[in-house]
Amino acid sequence: MNTHPIMAAGDPGSTDIWALANSPVLWFCALGVFAVIFVQCVLYTKAVKKAAPHVDMPLAEVKESFRAGAVASIGPSLAVVLVAIALLALFGTPAVLVRIGLIGSAAAETGSASISASTMGAALGGESYTQQVFGVAFMAMSLSGAMWMICTLIMTPLLKKGGNNLSKRNPAVMALVPTAALLGAFSALTIAELPKSNVHMILVFISAAMMGLCLYLAKVLHSKWLKEWALGISIVVSIIAAYFLHTA
Amino acid sequence: MTATPQLSSADASIARFEKQTSRYGRNTMLIGLALSLIGPIYIAFFSGLEITASMVWVAFLAVAGTFGVLWFVEPLTYFPILGSAAMYQAFMIGNISNKLLPAAIVAQSTIGAKPGTKRGDLAAVMAICGAATVHLTSLLLFVGVLGTWLVSLIPADIIEVARLYILPSLMGAVLVQSIVAMKSLRPTVIAIVLALVMNFVLVPMAPALAMFATAIVVISSILFSWVLRDGKKTYSSES
Repeated sequence: MNTHPIMAAGDPGSTDIWALANSPVLWFCALGVFAVIFVQCVLYTKAVKKAAPHVDMPLAEVKESFRAGAVASIGPSLAVVLVAIALLALFGTPAVLVRIGLIGSAAAETGSASISASTMGAALGGESYTQQVFGVAFMAMSLSGAMWMICTLIMTPLLKKGGNNLSKRNPAVMALVPTAALLGAFSALTIAELPKSNVHMILVFISAAMMGLCLYLAKVLHSKWLKEWALGISIVVSIIAAYFLHTA
Repeated sequence: MTATPQLSSADASIARFEKQTSRYGRNTMLIGLALSLIGPIYIAFFSGLEITASMVWVAFLAVAGTFGVLWFVEPLTYFPILGSAAMYQAFMIGNISNKLLPAAIVAQSTIGAKPGTKRGDLAAVMAICGAATVHLTSLLLFVGVLGTWLVSLIPADIIEVARLYILPSLMGAVLVQSIVAMKSLRPTVIAIVLALVMNFVLVPMAPALAMFATAIVVISSILFSWVLRDGKKTYSSES
């Protein structure tokens, strides 16, 4: 259909997501986002180094802060890596890098993709998950992520000027609304998996139980890393269970 | 605050720092925003997938109904903790509550700076730079290179299983994680009851509802949690 070599030749009905999801254009954009964040870090570091001596902060402390932040994030970063790898089959590498690894989170982005698929009468990962469904889901989750950034861009200067008025005036709303929204979103997304098949239902319970177990052990053993890795561990155990249940 | 000359020079340099980082932050975020949209636009509209604008609108509206309120609430929530410079970093790098905030706090305690002070703010920005460097590197190496290679090695039937069942395997854990993090019994019970009613009563009765099922549960969870709220309890909005 497409004669141009760089153009990804899509086929709306094909379920070969990877053929499309790993196209060079997507790789280019993903690496671009990485480069932008890297440039931002370099510019910020320069600005900090210029300002630090004026607030009694020796350059040694600037370096120490950088190092402390880097070391502290090794565990959480690797935990994100594990979750991201588990989602590669669904979205392909570039989309996973940008949406799950950076800007968004595994839960919100996969949730958005699942919601988008359901508006087309399809389900993520199954036979109805065609290239067309992937395209719409990827577009919708990127637009949602863009809204987060647009809100940040618009609100940050306003908040700086006017202070945090809404949260000062009505702290109860500010705390209750996101709590209820997140619980509502993840309850609905989780419970929507139950009627899909017996295997789906069992896996939801295995995954939930693993998370419960990890969080309980993390609390009892005062283990911070276990809390960080809980999501990755739950996914891996559930997928292994899925393999046995599916082939049984 | 006492108005010693040294302090006013500190104020001036912090003002300069904020002006600089706001400009850098805004511009880099705008470029990041554009790059994050070019990819999906190309896939959706220039790859022969026959995707119409209305398909995207419907999907976007359903997602907006679910997460829309968080677009506004999250920046409001994190601004007092992060400060304006770090806002532009945090909302592009992501993983704010599980990675960036802990990194900032560790860095501040390492150099003995209090959050909200000038030294504390600068330490937080540097900590986020450090965290971003580690995060970018591990993503590129372990997901970009190793992950792609790993997936090409794993037998196709296992990949198929992972693709088919990743959603229940992820969501069960995510739900438990958010219930534990929120520690709010009433909204939890309300959300779960509403989700059960939606998926086992309403959607089977009116299958067309499935399209906006999640959004409807979210909006009604907010309403019911507000109407039935426990006046004495304070909620923490950390996710």
